[in-house]
Amino acid sequence: MKINKTTLALSLGSLALAGQVQAQENKLYLFNWTEYMDPAIIEAFEEKYDVEVVQNYFNSNPEMFAKLNAGGVSQYDVIVPSNYYIPRLIETGLVKELDKSKLDNLDNVMEQFADPSYDPGARYSAPYQWGVTGIIYNTETFPEAPKSWSLLFDPEVNSQHPFGVMGDGQVSMGGACAYLGHGYDCTTMEAWREAAQLLIETKNRDTFSGFTDGTPALQQLARGVTHAGLSYNGDFLFYREENPDAFAKMEFMIPDEGAEMWVDAMMIPKEAPNPDMAYKFIDFILDAEIGAQLSNYNYYASPNAAARPYLDEVLTQPPVQPSESDMERLRFTPTLEGEQLQTFQQLWSEVKSR
Amino acid sequence: MVEISQHAMRRRAVVGEMRHLLFSVTPGAAWIVIFLVLPSAYLMGVAFMTNGPYGLPQMPLTLDAFERLAGFGFLGWSPGNLYTLLRSLWQTLLSTTLVVLVAYPIAYYITTCRERWRPIMLLAVVVPSWTNQVIRTFGWMNLLAPGTPLSELAEGLGLISPNMGLYPSNFAVTLGLVYNFLPFMVLPLYAAFEKLDTAQVEAAQDLYASPMRAFWHAVFPQTLPGLLAGIVLVAIPAFGMYVIPELLGGGKGMMLGNLVATQFSGGSNWPLGAAGAILMLIATFIGLFAMRRIGKRLGGGEEVVI
Amino acid sequence: MNKRALKRGLTGFWWLTLFFLYLPLAVVVLFSFNAANSSASFTGVSLRWYRRLLGNEQILSAFTNSMVLAIVSSVIALVIGCLIGYGMYRHRHRKLGWLIVLIYLPIVLPDIVFGISEMAFFVQIHEATGLLKPGLGTMIIAHVTFQIPFVALIVYSRFVGLDPTLFEAAKDLYATPFKRVLHFMLPTIKPALISAFFLSFTLSIDDFVISFFTAGPESATLPIYIWGAIKKGVSPEINAIASLMIAAVAVAAILSLIFSRRRQA
Repeated sequence: MKINKTTLALSLGSLALAGQVQAQENKLYLFNWTEYMDPAIIEAFEEKYDVEVVQNYFNSNPEMFAKLNAGGVSQYDVIVPSNYYIPRLIETGLVKELDKSKLDNLDNVMEQFADPSYDPGARYSAPYQWGVTGIIYNTETFPEAPKSWSLLFDPEVNSQHPFGVMGDGQVSMGGACAYLGHGYDCTTMEAWREAAQLLIETKNRDTFSGFTDGTPALQQLARGVTHAGLSYNGDFLFYREENPDAFAKMEFMIPDEGAEMWVDAMMIPKEAPNPDMAYKFIDFILDAEIGAQLSNYNYYASPNAAARPYLDEVLTQPPVQPSESDMERLRFTPTLEGEQLQTFQQLWSEVKSR
Repeated sequence: MVEISQHAMRRRAVVGEMRHLLFSVTPGAAWIVIFLVLPSAYLMGVAFMTNGPYGLPQMPLTLDAFERLAGFGFLGWSPGNLYTLLRSLWQTLLSTTLVVLVAYPIAYYITTCRERWRPIMLLAVVVPSWTNQVIRTFGWMNLLAPGTPLSELAEGLGLISPNMGLYPSNFAVTLGLVYNFLPFMVLPLYAAFEKLDTAQVEAAQDLYASPMRAFWHAVFPQTLPGLLAGIVLVAIPAFGMYVIPELLGGGKGMMLGNLVATQFSGGSNWPLGAAGAILMLIATFIGLFAMRRIGKRLGGGEEVVI
Repeated sequence: MNKRALKRGLTGFWWLTLFFLYLPLAVVVLFSFNAANSSASFTGVSLRWYRRLLGNEQILSAFTNSMVLAIVSSVIALVIGCLIGYGMYRHRHRKLGWLIVLIYLPIVLPDIVFGISEMAFFVQIHEATGLLKPGLGTMIIAHVTFQIPFVALIVYSRFVGLDPTLFEAAKDLYATPFKRVLHFMLPTIKPALISAFFLSFTLSIDDFVISFFTAGPESATLPIYIWGAIKKGVSPEINAIASLMIAAVAVAAILSLIFSRRRQA
């Protein structure tokens, strides 16, 4: 008898202890892409509001979305999804409508981001950064690389060297669609089927090294595991700055068949533990100087008009700001919903499992 | 009077025993029921629900998830999931066989060494598995990447195409599985060899001319319980493996564990993932049942309860 | 067959297998000192990756989480598992088939099924009641669940190995059940308790999949951190953290060796 009570008390005690480790204090939980935030900005924010910022990272939109569904909706205060996942988040009720009276710096946002197609009226999201997904390749291996998706999808253009494509199916399928002439933002069944077929063939080539998310793909390139892969313009510049030797021979290319342009935006999950602080954080990022500091740190174009005077020169030229002709060929990844989304997912899971 | 009090005492003893049983067993049993049986039951329920527009389970109840698992979708029948299942079965079979082939002589060898060395030798086999499986797998990623000596050697021998590494590949997955599970096979086999009745073996050596036949008739049956236990310990987790194919397979080595996991971690389809989990459970229980049956028939008896 | 040749062949095979078992770990340690960011070439000895670790708060907190998780869960599992192990022994003549099935369930359930079941279930409970918020608490619950059976089986088999008359003697010697537990049972099963604790601890440290699915934003353990780092693609630092874990395991191995030696002597 006695021992039973003791054990009960003991186990309850240790459970309570474990719970205490997690006790809420003044904290802001930020769920962001990897390598996407200047630590100095976090420090400045922590100091200004006397708060501790807890950062968690994701490498792809599907990963972020899954985490929110698996309880994350009540665990994070600010999330930074990409344009094509924003409608999905709104529709599933995972995010809050923004109270714009709490965001004084919202006026700093460029006009074209004030009423975006992915979130009409910008009711739920405030833009963070925008960028381009392109092919990064080794110029020593491919001295005469075509400005085309064929570098990945045509076995005759690249017959000998390992390469990878994106882990997020929508981006890889888009690339395959573009290569096949259906445009990056294809959504028809016919185009998808063909693209999936191409991806299955591509995947079964000896030189295919895997489905990799954008940021890790750069590390693989740097280490020589792959010689061509898909990644983002800003991350490319960021890592080149950090490790000039490894990236000296690398080049960023926007295929002429068209490629992805994306906008990442800040949103507040429906059951965010600390929404007041979340507003403060979003407003902080929308500040002109902080916005510029962010772009200067991670080499992505800023959606912040007021930040322009503070931007480094590198941010005004390619690849951060693509040439006009490239710009015309860039597309948003299409937003999928309902049956279309399910069809897409079946196709993609087919690609991955065959 | 006396009879009644005896009766009461016995009753009291029985009640006491019951109470004892209740108090000692309840906390653990309740814990497992609440935190494992109920969750698994819930997951099984999810498999019979409709996939919502964004991958979360919804009402009404349906068998859609199982149809999808069998390969039927909007596109008609497609073999993707079947490939995944066959790949899982094949990898499990291959890696378990390889593990047996390596572990059997190793376990035997340890029993032939001096007694004071045996604990150290066992420890040497087990210690690598004390590190986390993510770390162990990462070690192989380092070893098999393109440009490493092993990859260059394989390239020189013409086993892989130029510029490619041994990783990522299905070969790397098999290797990772063998590496990961070897200790689980060595331990039960060692226990079996240690109990080996040498008198029987000697008698067999006199009886049969060839050592091969002596082995087959005297040694092998005695090690069978250990072998079966090892197979259970290796094959079941191998079949549901997630980490190794994810890290070493490079998109070509997807196994059932990955199919299930991505439905939850890639946000696509909880009911489908749950249906995959049920398939995995069924396979596990069939495996266990078969092992017990074989074990019993071959005389392993009670020892083969893992 | 020549017996000597067989023995020699087996010796060779033994060393080859050891080489296979330790090669990946050795490579991790070796390359943690590599000056270059490469797994293909070793360009010189450097401590830069370790220096990078020092300033990394996340790694420190991941380490703390791993330790808290392993120790707290092992303690709880030890208490609960011990009770159930004793219950199984004391009432082994009854029909406890259901209990055996229950105890084997966590052992045979594939990790991934285990992990996602708990994740999906905890999410539902949390939505309904606000309890079981993903974090260290849920991870401890999950770990205790897979540790209980191992503790129970170890304790049970220790009891089975004892001479039943000992229990009678203890009954005569100590008046109260409490004293019996304190002076007889606990000392007798001490070796079993120690090995059960170590096994629970090792199982907790070795687990990745179940932790991964039950973790919250602040409860990343070292394996989860390393997984994230691998997925992110930063290698040399992972080598350094992994080397530290390998070093810890080596120390544990040596300790357990000394321990078992002393017990033998």
